[in-house]
Amino acid sequence: MNEFNASRSSMTRRAFLGTTAAAAAAMTVGQKAAFGAEEIKFWDMVWGTGASYTAAAKELVGSYQPSGDNLGVRYQSIPWANWYQTFTSAAASRTTPAVSSGAAFLPFYFIEQGVIAPADDVVAGFDKSGTNDFLPGVLDAMKTDKGYAAMPWSMDLRVIWVRKSLLEKAGVEAPTDWQSFIKVGEALKKIDVVGLGLAGGSTTTDGQHTVSALMINNGGGLFATDGTLDCVTDRNIETLDFLNELVRKGIIDPYAASYTSDNVTRDWLSGRVGMGFGQTGLDKNFPTDQQSDLTVISPIKSTRGDMGTVYYINPLMMFKTTASQPSSEAFLTWYLDNMKVFWEKGVAIDVPVRKSIADLPNLKQNANLQKSIAEWQPVGKTIGAQAPRPFGALNAVDGGGAGAAFIQQIIEGKTASKQILETLQAALEKVVK
Amino acid sequence: MTLAGLALPAVVLMAVVNAYPVVYAGIQALHDGDLLNLGNFVGLANFRDALTDPLFWRSARFTVVFSLCGVFGSWLLGFALALMLKPNFPGKSVFKILLLLPWIVPIVVSSMSWNWLTATPDSLLPVLARDFGFGRVMFLADPTMAMITVCLFKIWISYPFMMMMMSGALEGIEPNLYEAARVDGANSRQQLRYIVLPMTARSTYIAWILMAMFSVNDFATIYLLTGGGPVDSTTSLIVLAYRSVFQDFRPGYGVAISFLMTGALVTLSIILFRQIRKANIA
Repeated sequence: MNEFNASRSSMTRRAFLGTTAAAAAAMTVGQKAAFGAEEIKFWDMVWGTGASYTAAAKELVGSYQPSGDNLGVRYQSIPWANWYQTFTSAAASRTTPAVSSGAAFLPFYFIEQGVIAPADDVVAGFDKSGTNDFLPGVLDAMKTDKGYAAMPWSMDLRVIWVRKSLLEKAGVEAPTDWQSFIKVGEALKKIDVVGLGLAGGSTTTDGQHTVSALMINNGGGLFATDGTLDCVTDRNIETLDFLNELVRKGIIDPYAASYTSDNVTRDWLSGRVGMGFGQTGLDKNFPTDQQSDLTVISPIKSTRGDMGTVYYINPLMMFKTTASQPSSEAFLTWYLDNMKVFWEKGVAIDVPVRKSIADLPNLKQNANLQKSIAEWQPVGKTIGAQAPRPFGALNAVDGGGAGAAFIQQIIEGKTASKQILETLQAALEKVVK
Repeated sequence: MTLAGLALPAVVLMAVVNAYPVVYAGIQALHDGDLLNLGNFVGLANFRDALTDPLFWRSARFTVVFSLCGVFGSWLLGFALALMLKPNFPGKSVFKILLLLPWIVPIVVSSMSWNWLTATPDSLLPVLARDFGFGRVMFLADPTMAMITVCLFKIWISYPFMMMMMSGALEGIEPNLYEAARVDGANSRQQLRYIVLPMTARSTYIAWILMAMFSVNDFATIYLLTGGGPVDSTTSLIVLAYRSVFQDFRPGYGVAISFLMTGALVTLSIILFRQIRKANIA
C-alpha cells in the first residue's frame, strides 16, 4: 500500500468520524463528571447459550472490583449480526472499547492495522504468577510478528458426533477411518439416515467448517506452509474425491446445498442425521433425555493415515483506545481467572482453553467434552492451515461468498474435484491479498 | 432575509448528509481497500473487474429474470385479484385484508415460512411433490428450482402492492363507461380490452416502474431465502454487492457494482418515463 495515500485517505475518513466521536466524547465527559467515576468498556459477543450466557457474563463483569488505580468496567453485549461493520466502524472512528471478545480472526486483522495492543504483558503475568495453564498450542495460535494478538478464552472445536441408537439400528460400529466412514454411511443410508449431516446454504459456515475439517484431516488446507494460498493440492483433491464419493452414495444429502444451521439441527433432532461434524456442545440442542444418545467418536484417519480437524479460537483483545492500558490488562487477567462460572452454569458450549476449567468436576463428568479435549484438540488447526500462523485476511475466507459456492459445488457432485478447487483458488485470490 | 436564505441552512445540511456517503462511496469505488482503510487508488479497475467478471454477468441476468417476474408476475396476479375484488360481496374487506398478508408480514417471518415449506425433504412442498409423483424436487437446493422458487416468493410478497395500485386505478374509472359499453353490446373481455386497460395504463406503467426499482434493489427476498445460492444461481447484483462488501471485505468492488446498478436503473427509469410521456397515456 502507498503509505502517503493510505495515511491521507484514512485521515479523511477518520477526520469525519473522529469529529463525531469527539462530540460524543465531549458529552460523555460531562456525564463522567456528574457520576465522578471513570470506567472502561468491555464488549462481549453473544456466545454459548445466548441470552443466559449474556446474563451470566454481565453478572460476572458486574462483580469486578478494580484494585489500586485501575478503572472499573462496563459490560456491553454485542450481537453477531453485522459484527464486522460494528468493529471496523468503531475502529475507524476510534470508538472501540477497551477490551472485547470477537470473531476468531478479527484480532489478527486489527493487530496488522495497529488498532489493538498486543497481549504479551498479560501472558507474562500468567507466567509470572504460575497460572499459565492454557492447553497446548492455544497461546501459540495467537502469536504474530507483533506479539500475541489476543488472549484465548474458549475454542469452537469441530468433532464428529454420532447417534448411537441409529448406528445400532443400522448394525454398524462408529467409523475409525475414511473407508469405514463410507461403510457406516452406506449402512445408515439403507435405513434412510444421512451419514454426513451438514448445512451448505449460503448464509451459514457449517458446511465450510465440515469440509475444512476433512481437508485438515487429510493433512491439507487452503494455504501452503509459507502462508500463500494453495487450494489445488493432491491432499485437497483426495478430500474432495472422498466427499464426492459420499455424495454419489447418498451419504451426503443433496438438500444440504441450501440448508441453514436450523435445518441441519432439526434433522439431527428428528433422527434424519446419524453422523456429522459439530461443535462440542451439539448435544445441548437435544432434550435432556436424548443427550446421552449423542457421542463424540475418536478422530478418524484419512487414507494417508492423517488425523485432524478445524478449530476457531475465541479471542479477547485489548484496543488501544482504552483510557488505561493497565486497567485493560488487569480486567482481562481477572476475567480469564474468573470465567469458569460460564462452564459451571452450563452457559458456555465451547471447549475451555485452560486446564483449570477443563478439570472442573462437571466438565470431568462430560465424557464427550473430555474426549474432544484429549483427542480432537491436539490434532486441530485453524482454517489458515497449513500456514504457520493465522492472519487478518482469514476473516474474508471464513464465511465469504467463495466458500459457500465451493461447498455447494461439492454437494452438487457434478464438477471434478480439481476444477472445484481451481475455482475456489481463483475466488480466494481476490480476497486474500 | 429572502425565502432562499431561510432555506439555505436546511439545504446545506441535506446536501452534506446526502453528499458525504455518495462522495465517499465514489472515492471507495476507485480504491482497493477494506472497511477500515481506503487502500490504494486503482482508478476504474473495480469497474473493469466487475464488467469482466462472469459472476457479475450471471448476477445481472438473474437480476433481469427476477425483476421481470417480480414486475409482471405480481402485476398479473395483483390485477386479477383487484378485478375480482371490484364488485361488492359479503366479507370483501376480510378477504382483502387476508390477501394483503404477504405484504404485511415481516419478510424475515415469511422467508422463514417459505424455508420451512421447501428446504428439507420432509418439508410440505417436497412431500406433496413426491406424493403427486414428481419425485424428489429440491426447491432450494437445485439451482434452477431455486431460481423459480425465489421468483415465486417475490411474486407472492409483491402482488398485494400491485393489487392496491390497480384497485385504486379501477376505482377511478367512471361506472357509466361500463354502462355505456354494455348498452353498446360490449362483453366483459371487450370492456377489459377497450376500457379497463387503457384507463388504468398510467397507473400500470407507474406500478411497473416502481416494482422494477423495488425488484432490482430487493436484497432481503433473495438473501433471506437462499443467500444467493446454490452455486450463485440466485445471486442478484444487489446480493453480489453486499457479499463483496460485507463478506469478502472488498468495499471498492461492491460499491462499483452498486454504481453500475444505479446507472442502469436510472437509464431504464428515464427511458420508461419518456415512453409514458410519448404515449400520452391518460
